[in-house]
Amino acid sequence: MAGRDPKIGKELRQMPAEPLLPVEKRLIGWSLGLGGVLLAVLVLLTRAIAP
Amino acid sequence: MARRFEGLTEDWLAVVIGLIVFALALGTLFGADLLGWSGAPKTWIEVSKAVQPASANYASLGGFVALFLTFLFTLLLMLPAAAALGSDLRRFALSFSVVFWLAYLCWIAGNWAYIAVTTPADLEKFGIPWSLKLTGESGYLISLLLGLAIANFLPGFANWLRDAARPELFIKTAIVILGGTLGIKAAEQIELASSVMFRGLAAIIEAYLIYWAVVYWVARRWFGFSREWAAPLASGISICGLSPAIATAAAIRARPIVAVMVSSLVVLFAMVELLILPFLAAAFLSHEPMVAAAWMGLAVKTDGAAVASGAITESLVLAKAAAAGTVYEKGWMLGTTTTVKIFIDIFIGVWAFLLAYIWTRSIEPRKKGDPLRGAEIWERFPKFVLGFVATFLIVFMIALSFEALVKPLGAAMNEANVFRQLFFVFTFFTIGLLADLRKLWEEGIGKLAAVYVVCLFGFVIWVGLAISFIFFNGVRPPLVSG
Repeated sequence: MAGRDPKIGKELRQMPAEPLLPVEKRLIGWSLGLGGVLLAVLVLLTRAIAP
Repeated sequence: MARRFEGLTEDWLAVVIGLIVFALALGTLFGADLLGWSGAPKTWIEVSKAVQPASANYASLGGFVALFLTFLFTLLLMLPAAAALGSDLRRFALSFSVVFWLAYLCWIAGNWAYIAVTTPADLEKFGIPWSLKLTGESGYLISLLLGLAIANFLPGFANWLRDAARPELFIKTAIVILGGTLGIKAAEQIELASSVMFRGLAAIIEAYLIYWAVVYWVARRWFGFSREWAAPLASGISICGLSPAIATAAAIRARPIVAVMVSSLVVLFAMVELLILPFLAAAFLSHEPMVAAAWMGLAVKTDGAAVASGAITESLVLAKAAAAGTVYEKGWMLGTTTTVKIFIDIFIGVWAFLLAYIWTRSIEPRKKGDPLRGAEIWERFPKFVLGFVATFLIVFMIALSFEALVKPLGAAMNEANVFRQLFFVFTFFTIGLLADLRKLWEEGIGKLAAVYVVCLFGFVIWVGLAISFIFFNGVRPPLVSG
């Protein structure tokens, strides 16, 4: 942990706002959507392949 | 954390060290007991009987000689690795020796009958009226607490030991060795093993997709973190700790300080999880052992803490089940936790590549002449997994092809297991050693820690439990016959 910038705490406290970009919203949305769809698919596959 | 020195990373060194131990253990198949002299603690009431040679062939050596030989052998294994990593060999030899003896003493302490015994029969055998029933694996927790105490009360000493404090190298070596043990179990129960692997794969696909997105969103929207901080933080909290945090930081070209800060936080919270979750799992999930095991793999961050918590959970759950009259075969729970963790590690490269693609295409386009290469997936692939797969497949194929060799293979892997457990103890001790809580706080880690607490305890742990339940509900380790 040597060599860290002592100003990092200040940077973390005073971080300028960075609004969510559309691509970030798409990443979050697709990730959760795919997660939901795959959950159903994988549960069915698990029951079929590895009962 | 893969550190590159002279072309060799900790990952490759873990493969080499693990394969040396594995190859020597296989000597028993050819009539040469090459590791039977190694010393492992047994449950004890008289300290003179605390350590015994792994094989009856070397019983005449006695515990102390076995222990000293184990120390010399481990030191000889580690010195070339330290040289490859660019350490000062004299300094490393000294600090590693101290790490070895302190960690080993903790391992012995954890096997004291008053701490380790779990069944009424063993209480009677050792002639003691009570026990904490924490099993021999409590030695891991004792070594973690000792490492933590040294880091926070004797920071100068902790700093002196830092050269040998390499938890990632230790746990990866242990996982390579563990592959052989799991290979035997898979060959004996091939249907259950393939079911566990498929369910593990399904569980981590879900964990990646759900965890990361939510943690990233919480870090960005609720806590106002910039993209540079939020992405490595999301990977560190949600996926697996150190390696994904570092890979993600590299993928999005974050400053090195971001990866270092997030990694420190991951180690700190991994320790908290390690001290809490196995006991929660044992208290509430002893009727669903494989759910408990998968949960450790999905919820506890860093390879070391996750696999180690799988080992503790297994010992606690199996002891509880045994006390209720159900004796499960040992190793399946640890195998499940490890399988989940290995799949997570394999996917880190893919996930980092995906993030790098999105960042370079839509957020911070790269300069001309610096394109994103497919080879970056391989560069971020955790190479120690190859060692795990190799030991697993070698033992699995031999056991499937030659039934008569299953028993000798089991004996060989038991000897290798002494070193697997030893590397576990080193992992625990050095995880504690690296967690200087006061220093982390002084460096302004509070806001990062707030995201971690909210996401980990408010979301990741419970979603991990739900996913584990969905995919491992009703799966049981085999019962011990006879």
